[in-house]
Amino acid sequence: MQPDQPGQTFQPASAKPTKKVLCIEDEHFIGELYKRALDNAGYATTLEVDGVRGLELAQTDQFDIILLDLMVPNLTGIDILRILRDPTKTAHLKAKIIITTNLEQREDVRQDIEKQADGYIVKAELTPREIVEFLNNIE
Amino acid sequence: MDYFKKTKRQYTLNLLVALIVSNALVLSVWIILSYWQVRLIYTIIATVVVFIVFSLLFAISLSNYLIEPVKAIWQLILSISPHGESVESPKIEAMKVGREMTLSLSRQIYQLTSSSTNNANTIKHTPNPLLNDDFVASKLPLPLFILDQEENIIYANTSAGDYLGISAKDMTDKNFYMIMDMSFPSENTFDTWLKDVKANSAIASMSWERVKLNVLDNHPTRLFDLAAFYNRDNPEHYETMVVLFDHTKQYTQDDQAVSYVALTVHELRTPLTLLRGYIEALQEEIGQDSHPELVDFMLKMNAAAQQLTAFVNNILNVARIDNDQLQLSLHEENWAEIVQSAVNSISLRAKVRGISIETTIAPDIPSVGVDRLSIHEVINNLIDNAIKYSSQSKIIKVEAHLTKDGLVETTVQDFGLGINANIMSNLFTKFYRDHRNRSQVGGTGLGLYLSKAIVTAHGGNIWVKSTPGKGSVFGFTIQPYGRLAEELKNSDNKEITRSAHGWIKNHSLYRR
Repeated sequence: MQPDQPGQTFQPASAKPTKKVLCIEDEHFIGELYKRALDNAGYATTLEVDGVRGLELAQTDQFDIILLDLMVPNLTGIDILRILRDPTKTAHLKAKIIITTNLEQREDVRQDIEKQADGYIVKAELTPREIVEFLNNIE
Repeated sequence: MDYFKKTKRQYTLNLLVALIVSNALVLSVWIILSYWQVRLIYTIIATVVVFIVFSLLFAISLSNYLIEPVKAIWQLILSISPHGESVESPKIEAMKVGREMTLSLSRQIYQLTSSSTNNANTIKHTPNPLLNDDFVASKLPLPLFILDQEENIIYANTSAGDYLGISAKDMTDKNFYMIMDMSFPSENTFDTWLKDVKANSAIASMSWERVKLNVLDNHPTRLFDLAAFYNRDNPEHYETMVVLFDHTKQYTQDDQAVSYVALTVHELRTPLTLLRGYIEALQEEIGQDSHPELVDFMLKMNAAAQQLTAFVNNILNVARIDNDQLQLSLHEENWAEIVQSAVNSISLRAKVRGISIETTIAPDIPSVGVDRLSIHEVINNLIDNAIKYSSQSKIIKVEAHLTKDGLVETTVQDFGLGINANIMSNLFTKFYRDHRNRSQVGGTGLGLYLSKAIVTAHGGNIWVKSTPGKGSVFGFTIQPYGRLAEELKNSDNKEITRSAHGWIKNHSLYRR
């Protein structure tokens, strides 16, 4: 995929260091769409479909942003979030964690998730390009 | 007892003095008249007269003193009796005889009165013969509570104990709200009703549906209907009676229906995410230089996917409204910005039908108190409706202004089919659609029902004006943020939560 091909509307973040994104998403096609849009916009995206491996990758602390699906195999996104936010289990995490889900939560559960995460996205509401815009606006 | 002896001594002393003085006077009269050698008959008559007069005088003056303690206690009892005559309280401190005894007695009477008031309301202290095991309601197969004026439980039957998992005896004397922490589907709650009837009625009754008992995590959820009867002047102090009708099973099944809808929504959203993602990718790959027809197809596909996304959200939210789970968080927002954002998000759907949306927002609109995501859906639904019913007309007008009453009113006007007057009142009903137009226009009739619930939860009104053949205007009002300031002051978490039926969250756009 050429970032400067016709129709491309992204602003490559050439002046800034490349931001690394970990996308923990078990729906392969959605992961691919996100990776395409993010890489086109100048991010370096790593895809992971498995919850346990996703957590291990996140704990290496090499990412700036983690897109975390709540329904992933072997370890749920809620568990991953909790472990990443627990100082006794995750020494340091510079990454912003953005929850991406199509699941409807009970209000109390959702509020609890939102408190721990840096952002909350209903996937069906945003196209990959809109998600890139959302991430661009994260400090 | 000492006070009694002292009083007796005072009585004796007073009587003794009176007798001595009166006898001395009689004796003096006898001696003086004898000394003056008055005839015996006159002496006897004069002495008897003096004896009678002074005896009368002493009897009257003494009785006033001696009756004082009895009079004080009589006044005291009458003054505190609920059905007593209107008498002034006794001035015990000014009494000359038996003051200490009367003071002591009055204290005892006050104490007895206050404890007997309490005891009458608590079978724990003074078992009320009417509220024992033979009490007819003790065998009632419905949880029953009887409350006193202070809303303390004076009786709970066996069913109530079984229902709550607390023994009925442990509930007596406890405040009803401490035992029954309830949530109601609307602001018309049991305690607001009770406050109102206590202030305004002697007898009243009321029932509520779908009440939820807030229980600890390890207890099963309880959902029930509740009926209450209030009787202010009940002689037994049974002021309020409350009966519960358990519907946990039925109402939980309804909640599971929401879970089913939530599951369906999830399953619909995943392919929608892909559809919208690939449409966007295709648009980028094909670019604007492609064949105009292809570009047009892309736009229409995109608009259709957006419409489907909005519809999926409507299904979910209607399920929530129907199951009392609509809850909104009102924050200060810029209304012009919200209206413009909502118009922008639906403009593609208008564009593919060749319709343009004209937006006019008055410059003097103050900031508003709204739940951004939900009110966004209201505007979206109204514009979506206008698009559907525009027929051959190619313009929709969106306008926002401040009303004379200081409310922010927003209208969406189309120039399409219009609506017949006889069906206007049904428009905001679920699944209602104009039968006349059903074959021509798509839609489910959920949008207006949802919009009404959201606007109402915001404390606003939604309305429609229409002329068949000329088009319709849908409008709604919301409150400026300034009007909500007082409510916000009383809120712990610096936001206003409105609960029309429950919650309505997490349903559109994104949140940070």
